[in-house]
Amino acid sequence: MSMYRQFYALQQVARRSISSSVRRQVENKVPQKQKVFQEDNGMPVHLKGGSADALLYRTTMALTVLGKYTCLCNCFKL
Amino acid sequence: MAHQVHAYHMVDPSPWPLTGAVGALLLTSGLAIWMHFHNMTLLTLGLILLLLTMYQWWRDIVREGTFQGHHTPPVQKGLRYGMILFITSEVFFFLGFFWAFYHSSLAPTPELGGCWPPTGITPLDPFEVPLLNTAVLLASGVTVTWAHHSIMEGHRKEAIQSLTLTILLGFYFTFLQAMEYYEAPFTIADGVYGSTFFVATGFHGLHVIIGSTFLAICLLRQVLYHFTSEHHFGFEAAAWYWHFVDVVWLFLYISIYWWGS
Repeated sequence: MSMYRQFYALQQVARRSISSSVRRQVENKVPQKQKVFQEDNGMPVHLKGGSADALLYRTTMALTVLGKYTCLCNCFKL
Repeated sequence: MAHQVHAYHMVDPSPWPLTGAVGALLLTSGLAIWMHFHNMTLLTLGLILLLLTMYQWWRDIVREGTFQGHHTPPVQKGLRYGMILFITSEVFFFLGFFWAFYHSSLAPTPELGGCWPPTGITPLDPFEVPLLNTAVLLASGVTVTWAHHSIMEGHRKEAIQSLTLTILLGFYFTFLQAMEYYEAPFTIADGVYGSTFFVATGFHGLHVIIGSTFLAICLLRQVLYHFTSEHHFGFEAAAWYWHFVDVVWLFLYISIYWWGS
């Protein structure tokens, strides 16, 4: 009997969350982004988004240097 | 602060051409090392680096166009020329594989039995899954055009729906083609028939996956309000690419699947 009640409760929750997701709208954040990226702070576009940009850039550059070094090592080994 | 007195885009210095070049170097040398020494390190590193480069470079282009307003009409014209030239280069890429197919199939050698399909090869029935695939891609051409008109008319929800449908049709094609590959009675190692079939259709399949990915990015951008009814070149570029992929399939279907059986 309690299993049936639990299932019924789950059904109610599912119905509520599905119907609310239909009504959920994605907000237009383009004007905010335009403000951030048009700020006159001298930052190049690949770093202008904030600290996440810098982290991703540093990771990519580190892999680039590592890769170039590994490639050179392998070439000279051959 | 100095202001520019022209409509062109002077890009900020960017590290992505360098990281992309090193990534391409690692991919190619990594491929050679993998084939000879069975070591996948360089290859994997190259792939990761290229993916990171593509993500950040294209992210920056979206920022420059949509958030900074650098894609003025002359700049957009340049982007259009660029995409057209790229697709043209891809046409030549496929032309090579069609040349190979016709070279071998128009004058089949005695080693093949002097016939096409060669002796021992059971080709796929062109009126089964390949015909369905043709219908799927043609339908996706219709839905992508529907998406374009929806964007131009400012119908946000319809644009999202039709673009989603286009992507789903692309995935359906890929799924069906993967099943065909698994079930095929011949392999890539089955002489020149296998080589031409799997290399030509294989590269086409890769382009379907690339095209579907491009469309998926466009769907994300449409949801995020990046496209306006007047300015949505990213979507147009994706649609052009998708139509190109569709046309290549039509040539593949008629030449390899139908005439070649």
